Amino acid sequence: MSRILESELNVQGLTAYIDDSDEPRGMLHGTLAVTPCARGRLLGIDPRPALALDPSVRVLSAACVPGENQLGASVPDEPLLVEGEWGFKGQGIALVLAATQAMARKAATLVAIDYEELEPVLDAREASSRGSYILPSRTMASGDTSSAFARSAIVVSGRTESGGQEHVYLETQGAIAEPREGGRVFVLSGTQAPSGVQHAVARVLGLSMNAVEIETRRLGGGFGGKEDQAAGWAALAALGALATKRQVKVYLSRREDMAWTGKRHPYSADFRLGLDAEGRILAFEADYYQNSGAACDLSPAILSRTLFHAASAYRVPNLRVTGRMCRTNLIPFTAFRGFGAPQGIFVMECALDAAARAGGWDPIELRRKNLLKEGDVFHFGQPLANCHTGRSVDRLLEKSGWKSLRAEMDSFNASHALEKRGAAILPLAFGVSFTKLVMNQGGALVHVFHDGSVSVSTGAVEMGQQVSRKIQVIAARALGISEARIRVESTKTGTVANTFPTAASTGADINGMAALAACEEIRARLLSFAAKRLGAELGNLRLEGEFVVNGCEPTDLGWNKLVDEAHLERVDLSAHGFYATPGLFYDMKAERGSPFAYHVYGCAAVTATLDVLRGTYRFDTATIVHDSGESLDLSVDLGQTEGAFAQGLGWAALEDLRFDSKGSLLTDTLSTYKLPDIHFMPEMEVEFLADAGNPKAVMRSKAIGEPPFMYGIAGYFAVLDALRSARPDLAPSYDLPMTPEKALAILTGAGAPAKGAQDASALAPPKPECAEGALS
Amino acid sequence: MITVNVTVNGKKYKRDVEPSKTLLRFLREDLGLTGTKEGCGAGECGACTVFMDGHTVNSCMVLAAELEGRSVETIEGEAKEGVLSDIQAAFDRHHAIQCGYCSAGMVLSVRELLKRNPKPSVEQIKEGIEGNFCRCTGYQQIIEAVLDVSGQEGSKGELHYV
Ligand code: FES
Ligand code: FES
Repeated sequence: MSRILESELNVQGLTAYIDDSDEPRGMLHGTLAVTPCARGRLLGIDPRPALALDPSVRVLSAACVPGENQLGASVPDEPLLVEGEWGFKGQGIALVLAATQAMARKAATLVAIDYEELEPVLDAREASSRGSYILPSRTMASGDTSSAFARSAIVVSGRTESGGQEHVYLETQGAIAEPREGGRVFVLSGTQAPSGVQHAVARVLGLSMNAVEIETRRLGGGFGGKEDQAAGWAALAALGALATKRQVKVYLSRREDMAWTGKRHPYSADFRLGLDAEGRILAFEADYYQNSGAACDLSPAILSRTLFHAASAYRVPNLRVTGRMCRTNLIPFTAFRGFGAPQGIFVMECALDAAARAGGWDPIELRRKNLLKEGDVFHFGQPLANCHTGRSVDRLLEKSGWKSLRAEMDSFNASHALEKRGAAILPLAFGVSFTKLVMNQGGALVHVFHDGSVSVSTGAVEMGQQVSRKIQVIAARALGISEARIRVESTKTGTVANTFPTAASTGADINGMAALAACEEIRARLLSFAAKRLGAELGNLRLEGEFVVNGCEPTDLGWNKLVDEAHLERVDLSAHGFYATPGLFYDMKAERGSPFAYHVYGCAAVTATLDVLRGTYRFDTATIVHDSGESLDLSVDLGQTEGAFAQGLGWAALEDLRFDSKGSLLTDTLSTYKLPDIHFMPEMEVEFLADAGNPKAVMRSKAIGEPPFMYGIAGYFAVLDALRSARPDLAPSYDLPMTPEKALAILTGAGAPAKGAQDASALAPPKPECAEGALS
Repeated sequence: MITVNVTVNGKKYKRDVEPSKTLLRFLREDLGLTGTKEGCGAGECGACTVFMDGHTVNSCMVLAAELEGRSVETIEGEAKEGVLSDIQAAFDRHHAIQCGYCSAGMVLSVRELLKRNPKPSVEQIKEGIEGNFCRCTGYQQIIEAVLDVSGQEGSKGELHYV
């Protein structure tokens, strides 16, 4: 048995992902015939050219959907297959099945689509000016901003842009569905949300949830992209399987995945920040225009996280922020590590950057002066507890040798004309919990087998974040046995039901607590059996080092013997555990409450060197001081910190998601969409904050998945800092990512290209005939 | 169909292949060696890296029809009788694997690098695996694993507590 559950198998290529499953004879491959432009109206489908390709080809359109032709979980605005008007390019019109994947892809291009092209709206502000929204806007406010602005010595305002981001999980999306007896269906799905997929499949097929079983073994990366966005592929595979009574596999190529699946939301924002003469923040206002894309997906929840993180790690006594979910004709944008927080934090950092320049303040001192402190109250009413922001910043400045680093950079810049160095820091306060209350619950099922081995199932999905490793540690500690005895199972909806996605960094928090509850229940039963068996005081017994220990005395009851004897005495060796994060509440009307169980703190410094002639730059160092509570596994948390930072740095500086003026994705390959390679990454020096045990999560640990992503934002400002050394005369606009192209444009004084687009619209058209039915 | 005789991980195979079939698909579909992954299918990510006649190639960019008389080594040939190779063990120790999808390609690219240069500097490590994308790790734990396996552990990036 392996120490780290997956890695020993993984490193040998012995773990099976979706595409590695056996393909039984008769299996069909499915793909989509998709909408050819960003906005249009479907007039008809002619499957005949596709059907003529091969007898195995089948073409299923919206009319073939037995249940509800709908994927939208919160707003019903995303049909599985298009009927009438459509809202983005790359949406499915028909499911095309064939004996091989290549043939299915060929057949899909042959499905003749009769349509009328309509004018798309691509820009969030344009959509907003036309009143095209997913849901009404949302405002959070505290204090009185207008009087605070009136009192301010300095008021700065500006506009910011931040781009979308492609997940590029290395394993693309997919699912394999298998028809089961009695019209039931089993789906192997690459999803972070097995129960969500189960519900979506049941809805589309018109089945009850107990007729649909979803299993997720592991993901080759998720990062939020396989949350709501995984449902469609599973539903299509299941639709095909029930229609053909064959196994159906839907597995996307890289290009299809990039063109057909959602990404991080681009945001545009206006900000206004008021400070007193000493640089203390008095008031902050922002308007966020979230480009939500053509369907709701998770946009409202993502927007709420933007609003919750509007003040980032700073104390803002008077605040008013409004978010708008702008419906455009781009692919529905979705969850991505950070979930709206990076977009909000970027705006606050831009405002502080502008303020530092306007007030002539040192950017670090300005930030320190305004850092959140213990007992401060967020704009949504939650008081801050166990705050380590100040401590993190102090330690970071010390660790990075900030003062001498700055002096060294300044003298370098004074003596070099063709190269300039820059640096920036980013303090962090990231709220942990799903902002939607209901989602903060999870279950586990633990079996102790009578040979002493243990099986743990939870709702958590393993996607490389090593949540199974953490759950293994938790179970081993709770039962007082070796980790090698514990196997964490794949995630199955029939084993642990009604779960929520492995997301919001809460995978280990929630599922680990549920597993702990189940283990504790079994432990209690075993110990009360042991008390009887030994004639000992129950209160003196505990399980430790694979033995029952009585006070300080060892006993002869080793784990194997204990379990075996308990089994013979008919002690129940299985337990279900459940956890609902306590203390959370939120009043949506008042926009007040306590939405987070706790916050994660930290601080990062990034340095960069800019080539003044070319606009190219390299990141030299990244120093991170991060609060991960009492880590359940330090090397896992280190990997998460570095990996999240890499993605954040990619978003801030490199990853340039682009659509053309008609709404077609231009960056649909890894040669056109640049993601961090090994040369892009600076040397990372990570230190975890000591004495930061977290009373609010399992075994005093802390969530780790998303928070370090934010540190990447410091990369943007490090390059901006270098640019300013080169061109102190210019005031560049805030436009993330800071690609070398943009840096060069700033250096040469050229403006950023204007953004623009046109119209948007609603949907409600006639149902087309079932394409296949029309022929038979 | 084209008939090829090829040795894979020391085992001889004779197979008929379609002219358009890639080495990647041949390994995965015809030989059932699914340890080699497809990340892009277009020569852009390195996930599909295997050895062909002693040098690494992106197996998605090689046609199976070119295999006649050649020898191929894949990730399945790296561990011997279930015992991790030195590189695999170092990857495991340093947590250089998160989701695992890039790992087969990474490990083989490192193998190629160390064949040429048993004690690579950090810069040389970067050059050696620059064709392999990893979306999960930020690469540092991979670099640390390579430093370790080449007997240079401790030269960079240790875990720190305040
Ligand atoms: S799959 Fe071959 S290089 Fe990406
Ligand atoms: S470990 Fe996931 S891509 Fe490298």
